[in-house]
Amino acid sequence: MKTIVLATAIRILIPLFIIFSVYTLFRGHNHPGGGFIGGLIGSIAFVFHTMTHGPQHTVDTFLKLNLYGYPRQPNQSRSLYLMRMMRVNVWRRRKMARHPDMKHHMVRIESVYIIATGLFLAVTSGVLGLLSGQPFMHAYWTDFYIPVLGKPGTPILFDLGVYLLVIGVVLKITFVMSEE
Amino acid sequence: MNHLLIMLPILIPLYGAILSLFFWRSVRAQQVIGILAQVCLLIASFMLLFDINENGIRTTQVGSWPAPFGITLVADLFSAMIVITGSITGMAVYLFSIKGLDKARQTFGYYPVLLVLQLGVSGACLTGDLFNLFVWFEVLLICCFVLIALGGTKPQLEGAIKYVTINFLATNFLLVGIGVVYGTLGSLNLAELAVLVRTPAAHPALINMAGMFFLIAFGIKAAIFPLFFWLPASYHTPPIAISAFIAGIITKVGMYALIRLFTLVFVTDQDLTIPLFTVLAGFTMVIGVLGAASQNDFRKILSFHIVSQIGYMLMGLALFTPLAIAGSIYFIIHNIMVKTNLFLISGVVAHRHGTFALKKLGGLYLQQPLLSVLFFISAFSLAGIPPFSGFWGKFMLAKAGFEIDSFVIVLVSLAVSLMTIFSMTKIWNEVFWKKKPVVDPLLEVMTEQEQRHNRLLHLPVVIMTVFILFIGLYAEPVVAMAQLAAEQLLNSELYINAVLKR
Repeated sequence: MKTIVLATAIRILIPLFIIFSVYTLFRGHNHPGGGFIGGLIGSIAFVFHTMTHGPQHTVDTFLKLNLYGYPRQPNQSRSLYLMRMMRVNVWRRRKMARHPDMKHHMVRIESVYIIATGLFLAVTSGVLGLLSGQPFMHAYWTDFYIPVLGKPGTPILFDLGVYLLVIGVVLKITFVMSEE
Repeated sequence: MNHLLIMLPILIPLYGAILSLFFWRSVRAQQVIGILAQVCLLIASFMLLFDINENGIRTTQVGSWPAPFGITLVADLFSAMIVITGSITGMAVYLFSIKGLDKARQTFGYYPVLLVLQLGVSGACLTGDLFNLFVWFEVLLICCFVLIALGGTKPQLEGAIKYVTINFLATNFLLVGIGVVYGTLGSLNLAELAVLVRTPAAHPALINMAGMFFLIAFGIKAAIFPLFFWLPASYHTPPIAISAFIAGIITKVGMYALIRLFTLVFVTDQDLTIPLFTVLAGFTMVIGVLGAASQNDFRKILSFHIVSQIGYMLMGLALFTPLAIAGSIYFIIHNIMVKTNLFLISGVVAHRHGTFALKKLGGLYLQQPLLSVLFFISAFSLAGIPPFSGFWGKFMLAKAGFEIDSFVIVLVSLAVSLMTIFSMTKIWNEVFWKKKPVVDPLLEVMTEQEQRHNRLLHLPVVIMTVFILFIGLYAEPVVAMAQLAAEQLLNSELYINAVLKR
């Protein structure tokens, strides 16, 4: 279904959807919203993109990481090498990409990893309370207040996990269905 | 520490499943994570049991919400014993599936789903909240559906559709029952429900109706007499590593929920429930064993025996004395292990000879004497021959029956035991004793590697047999613990006080 109107509109709508979904995610503690509905709204962006451009293009646009690196020198320690690699990929990437020794890798983020990350965050937010002798999912809140988003605390970690989980599941379903 | 101990049997499989998802591409990594999770789960559940044995019932409130409002997790002896049995079984099935399951199925998420299934078992056993119980049964249902359909062969899909349709029906009944309970009593916390049904203001007719909804729901899940037909139609279709675990433990979790609810909540109108349970138990035993007698496939015979053995567990609930409930608990533990072991043995046989049909098998006594001994022990345990584990369960049930003069059900159960021996003898004669029928010799040739795999497949069977022999030959501590668990179950005050902190 490749229509030029939708394809143009979706470019403006995608950031809108994602910003609105993050807003919904954070306001969810005291108002309507939260991780589940936020994740659904956020995944609309990717679903529309897949509908107009096809799954391969969506993966290329959103779910690929460009990593740069060079092979480890024989006399270099492993930990130093790992830290170097991290710095290369975080700090001044543009400049690094032009460096002649650098090799370019593309890593695809599979939706199953998004699902796993989401689950991990959600469960770990509950375990934090457990480790300090409180029951599972005991909530810890900070004292300060962020204007639009509200008070941060461990339940937001849970909601964030649900958010990622929902996005991952919807992406997986969308890719499988659009490939058939 | 208290909170952590109860959560560990839930958290360990959950974290195991999540980590396996991170290593989606590498089966080897999933296997390593899986074995670590199984060992940790086993240790954690033993720690939980020892803790409860010393300090009594343990509870925790998820999210620090106090008891009737938040989700309660309760661990008493009964639930801890089921969790331990589940983790032993999980470990054996897990070891079996490393070599006994084909690579394709292992790649498509077998290990994470198995861990989530164990998560569901732990959760259903530890929860103290009616709606939470429903959620855990949903987890079990979804995982079983995935596992039965995994691989997508035609008989598997057929079995999966039967399984899911009927179990969705059961889930709906469960939901209606929960609705009725919440509408009449206004709570979903099991401990508070136990208090509320004993007050004079409770409406007995509505509570009975809710109880019947739960009986139908868990009756389908546990495969009780008129509602068991889905079980033999679906349990034999998936590969043996999957059906061994599902057949071993899932129906017993339904039975666990039934015993929990009908000793804690729906106890007010025993003039109705006890005769009903007695009739159902008798029919379940007889029909199951008759169905098994007419089958000619290794796995189908075992599937029908699951139904027949469920009858014994229900019989304990029908007699409703401390000894009978203890017998039921012991029988559940014995049955989970023996049934899984028999399924695993059928898997080893099929791995060697490529078939489950009794007609095509034969002569294993000469070829695999060790396997024959292992089968012999498990089959005699199932039938209840004295030194082995099944005897003690049946002995406790029969003794409890004679004590309150319920002769008919005891006689039925003893007759069914005889029929069970007949079925086991049939398998023994056909698979192990008779001469091997002439088949194409090319089918029987195994490479060096396959022979090594086949030897490795014996390992989980040996482990399970050691546990079966342990609870049979050294039954005293297990029986004593089952009796303690039964006293905890029948003395609802203990449970209520532990949860509501009164």
